[in-house]
This record gives sequence, C-alpha cells and structure tokens, in this order.
Amino acid sequence: MQQHLPKLIYIERRSRIVSLIPYINILNIALPVLYFGIVFVYGKAFFSDEAWARGIKTKIFVFTVVLHFAYLILRTVEFRHPPVTSIYEMLTVVSFSVAVAYLFIEFRSKAKGTGYFIAIIAFVLQLISSLFIRDLTEVPEALRSNLFGLHVSSAMLGYAAIAISAVFGFLYLMLYHEIKSNRFGVVYQKLPNLETLERMGFTAFKMGFVLLGVAIIAGFVWLPSSGLDFSYLDPKLIGTMLIWLMYGIGILAKRRGDWKGRKVMMLSVWGFGITLVSMVVINLFLSGFHKFD
Amino acid sequence: MNLVCVGISHHTAPLELRERLWFSEQEIKATLPLLNSEGFDEAVLFSTCNRTELYVHVRQPELRVKFLTDLLLNQKSAADHVPHDQFFNYFASGATEHLFRVASGIDSMILGDVQILSQIKEGFRISQEIGASGFFMNKIFQSAFHVGKRVRTETVISEGAVSVSYAAVELAERMFEVLGEKSALVIGAGETAQLTAKHLKSHGIGKLLITNRTAERAELLAREVGGSTLPFDDFGNHLADVDILITSIQSDNYVLSADDVRRIVKKRLASTLFIIDIGVPRNIDPETRKIDGVFVYDIDALQGMINENLQKRQNEIPKIRSIIAHQVAELYQWYSSLHVTPTIAAIREHFEAIRADEVEKNINRFAPHERELVEILTKRILNKILHRPTVNLKNGQTQTASEGLLKISVLRELFDLGSPAEKEQNDD
Repeated sequence: MQQHLPKLIYIERRSRIVSLIPYINILNIALPVLYFGIVFVYGKAFFSDEAWARGIKTKIFVFTVVLHFAYLILRTVEFRHPPVTSIYEMLTVVSFSVAVAYLFIEFRSKAKGTGYFIAIIAFVLQLISSLFIRDLTEVPEALRSNLFGLHVSSAMLGYAAIAISAVFGFLYLMLYHEIKSNRFGVVYQKLPNLETLERMGFTAFKMGFVLLGVAIIAGFVWLPSSGLDFSYLDPKLIGTMLIWLMYGIGILAKRRGDWKGRKVMMLSVWGFGITLVSMVVINLFLSGFHKFD
Repeated sequence: MNLVCVGISHHTAPLELRERLWFSEQEIKATLPLLNSEGFDEAVLFSTCNRTELYVHVRQPELRVKFLTDLLLNQKSAADHVPHDQFFNYFASGATEHLFRVASGIDSMILGDVQILSQIKEGFRISQEIGASGFFMNKIFQSAFHVGKRVRTETVISEGAVSVSYAAVELAERMFEVLGEKSALVIGAGETAQLTAKHLKSHGIGKLLITNRTAERAELLAREVGGSTLPFDDFGNHLADVDILITSIQSDNYVLSADDVRRIVKKRLASTLFIIDIGVPRNIDPETRKIDGVFVYDIDALQGMINENLQKRQNEIPKIRSIIAHQVAELYQWYSSLHVTPTIAAIREHFEAIRADEVEKNINRFAPHERELVEILTKRILNKILHRPTVNLKNGQTQTASEGLLKISVLRELFDLGSPAEKEQNDD
C-alpha cells in the first residue's frame, strides 16, 4: 500500500492541473457575447451596409463556430458525456447546429443577407443555455444507449432545422408584406427573393419534420427499455406529437396545393414558437421525465 | 486650362432641335479634323439623344465660342433651325466640372442614367482613333471616367428602377428565383406593355406569351421580342400556367375579376402570381390584391416605386458633388504641376544668360589662370541664389492648384518669362 500511495497522489494532482472547467466557464460566457457580436456586425452590414462589417462578418462567425465546437468537445471530455442530457446542454448544441447550418447556407447558396436573423436565433439559444447550464458529471445509466443517442441527435438537428425554417419563414413574411404594401425598404433591397426564401424555408421545414419523426420513433422504441418511469400521456410526448403532426399537415397541404407560400411560412414561424414553448415550459413545469439532472 | 465646351442638351433645347444636331460616328470623324486647322490642338465630340457636346483645348486663351457653335451648326446644316441661344458653353474649370457632372449621370434627363458614361467613352474613342485628342484630353477624359466609376461604386445613383417597365421587371426579380423558369403573358400590345415584354425577355424570362384583340399587333410584338402568341378569346385557358401577367388593354369592364383570379390561383401549385395592370381604366379588379400570394401592381403603384427610387437617387447628389469637386481639384493640381518645370527652367535660363553676359563682358579683367575660377564662382553663386526658390516652387505642388498657378504667373510676370511653353507639356 505504501508503495502505491505516491502514484495515486500524482494522478489526483494531474487531474486537477488539466481541469478544463476554467476554459469551459470562459467559453460559456464568451459564446453568447460572441453571438451578440455577430448579431451586431451582421446587423451593421445588413441595415447600414458598412464596409468594415461586410469585411469581418463571416470571419467572426467562423471563429465563433470553431470556439463553439471546442466548447462542446471540452464539455464532453470534462463531464464524460456529450452535452445532450439536460435541456440547457441541448440548447447549446441546437444553437451550434443552427450556426453551422447557416454557414453552409452563406457559403453555398444565394440566400445571402439572412445571417443577421439566423444569428439572433443562435444568440438567444446560447444565451439561455449559458445562463442556466450546470456542470453535470453523473449521467443516468438509462441514457447510455444507442437508441437514445439517435433520439437525441435527430431531435436536436430537427430543432435546428425548424429554427432555420422559422427564420426563413419570418423573412418571407416580412418581404411578402413589404411587396404587398408597396414599401421598398431595406428588407426589399437586401433579402433574397420571395421564392428563394420560401424554398429554403420549406426545405428546412421538411428536414425538421423528418428528423423530429426519427427522434419520436427512436424515443418510443427506446422508452420501454430505458427503465424510466414514464407515461405515453406525458405532456411532453403529446406536445411533441402534436407539433410533429402540425408540420406533417403543413407539408401535405402544400403538396396538395391547398396551402401556398404564405400559409406554410406562417406555420413554420408559429410551429417554431410553439416548439420553443414546448421545450422550455413543458420541460420545466409539466413533464415528469425528460429531465435527467 | 484653356478648355472650352459648347453644346446643346435637354436643359437648353427641345428634342426636335437636339435631333438636328445629332452627330453619327462618321460625322464626328469629318468634323474634328476641321478644328485642327483652326488652331485648336485637341477636341472630343460626343452625341446622344439628349445632348451633343464639343470639348476643345486651345493653345491660346481665346473665347471662340461662336466659331465652335457655327461649326456644329454648319456641319449639320442646321444654322437656320437651331438658334445660338439654344447652346450652352463652359470654360476652363467650368468645362471640366460640367464634363464630370455629365459623366456622373446627375446632368442626365433621367437622374443617374448609366448609359451616358459609355457614350462619352465612345466619343473619346472616336477622337483618339482619328488622332484628334492627345495629352490633355486623355487626362481630362480619364478623370471623367474615374468620376463615373466612383459615382457608380460609391453611391446608389443608378440603382432602383425609374421607369414603369423596369420597375415591373425589378419587382418580378424580387419575387421569383429564376426568371428563366417562369412564364409571362402580355395582354395588349401598348407601348408600356411592349417595353415590359422586352425587358422581361432581356432578363431571361422562360416563356413569353402575347395576346391582343388585333392579332397582327400581337404577332408583330412577338416577332420583335421573341415570344409566341395566343388567340385573344383563348387566353383565359392559359392563365393558370403563367406566373407573370401584364394587362394593358382599353376596356370598360375588368378583364379579370377577383373571383376569376381566385379560380386561377386554386388551379396553380406555385405560390406567387404577379400581375402588372398598366391599363387605364384598370383591367384587374382591385379586390384581387387581397388574395393570398397574388401581387397586383397598377400604374400608380409602380409610379410610387419609381418616385421613391428617384428620391433615393436625389439624396446621393451631395455625395456626387463632393466627388466631382475632389476630382476637379486633383485635375488642376496636375495642371499647375505641368507649369512648374518649364518655369524653373525659364528662370534658370534667364539668370544664366545674365551671368554669362556679365562674365563675358568682364572676363578680360582677370588673369588667364583666374578665368576658370570666375566661371566656377559665378555659377556657384547663381546656383545658391536659385536653390531656395527652385525647392519652394517644386514643393508648391502640395499647395492648392490655384495658389501654385498664382505663384507661377507672378514669377513669369516679374521676370518677363512669357506664357508657359506648351511644347514641354506636349513632350511629357
């Protein structure tokens, strides 16, 4: 025993030296600040067309996304699980997914000029996450399952997709009303055309529907084997199902030609609003499970 | 700068007079050489439907405006039709400033007209081609092109549609992703409908259908713009397939009621139907604009958009004036610098002549072995005397152009050096 003692002390000290918590804490504060900076710079580029803002906006966005990725990795390493076990951990992942998805849009599509609005979503999600996130190291055994991993990752990508769909939907509605009411302001001049906004909004809408569908199916299959105390009448489950059905009805109505651009885009905005309420309110006040901390 | 500009424009003369003074390329090429023989060393002439302007650089500061206007009138045999008071004229910095204003588009009939710059470039090219312009005109016109370029990149003077037909196409581009995948139907073949059809075609509309009560006019327009025609009685059956509808016929009743449009919209899968109603009285029931996904623009709505765009262009004028003022100052800086070197050389020559003359007169008073020393000594004294004024004159290039020119003219007057030598300028 005497011989092993120095080694144990060494390991303990070493683990303290390489503690990642200070970095995580710094990034936890820095990320919402950086996202706010992105909103500010993209706003300057969009509304005032300032050259300096146009020059640095994408750089600062890429820099922030890289830091955000590092933050997620650090959390995973330090707390020994991917940050998907509480709503606030999930919010930072959704915020990251939204930011990455937007960067793809900016680099690859014609839908430029939408960054300001998408950055607001990423900022709000990250702000809520940063304010309430807790350092959780103990993860219930129930969550260490492949099905659960599929459930969570598809749910988060689905949420990111419907968030982006909502932004495009919102921009579509703004431009729609501007053209309808003969006003030709910044929105008219800077945004992509109506059809592009509708196409991108609806693509994200469909992706959201499919991914949330996968999440729901994976969740239902996984639940009985999870060992958790649950009920199929849980408000979270019913709420999510209703949202998913609502998106499904929207897709069907659009396909059949019953609903045209504006109605589908309105559904996209409302759907996201309702989803956000479902994520926050139901999780905090109503649901019996879906809280693992 | 001995620059003279004479011309006629929409500010000074009506279209029928401007037409008489429109110069083709051949006519320009025939006119400019006549100026050379009259002592004008460089000239540029350009002509558009709104203006004809002649810029000449003269060796001596003479105001031969009447000669220049007579030349333009005689070349076009228009002396009996266009009185002299229809012409404007500008001199020196006034002429350069006017040219810059024209190049910037703020002097155009349609504020911010982008065509004028290429028309000036064309006039300058013709002049260069026949050797009528050289060192001066090159600098002046390059400065004008620079003004034109800056104005277009730094301001929004030429942005936003300012004609009904362009406004319609601009709106279509804000609604549809790829015009090439869309189809448009033009009902009627009036002037604005024709222009809108042409603009849609030039912006790549996928399919252009034209219908008119008189089928021949529809066919004529279809041939002109590259579209196809529909029988007037049958166009209703095709409405569900079009994305852009332009109506421009004279009719006491609506061509389409709101219920008609509702039925069309139901049949369509696409979200957006864009209707441009240029008819007076209106061809489309105004209630139609309440229908989801249907955008109806009548002539008043398009005019409102045009007025808004014009106001935005107006707001840019102060910015453009400052660009022009900056460029005029820069040009005169360059012009005054042209006189510095010949003036310094002339002063040196003047003093050297005095020195050489005095040395020659008195050299015999010195012993032969001292004469070389006298040469060296007097030259050294002269160099020392002229060193400071030379440096100051050269540094004077950083002052304003008019200060520099004033100094030079005072020096030339004091030492009786005459006017700046044009020869040296041409050699540069």
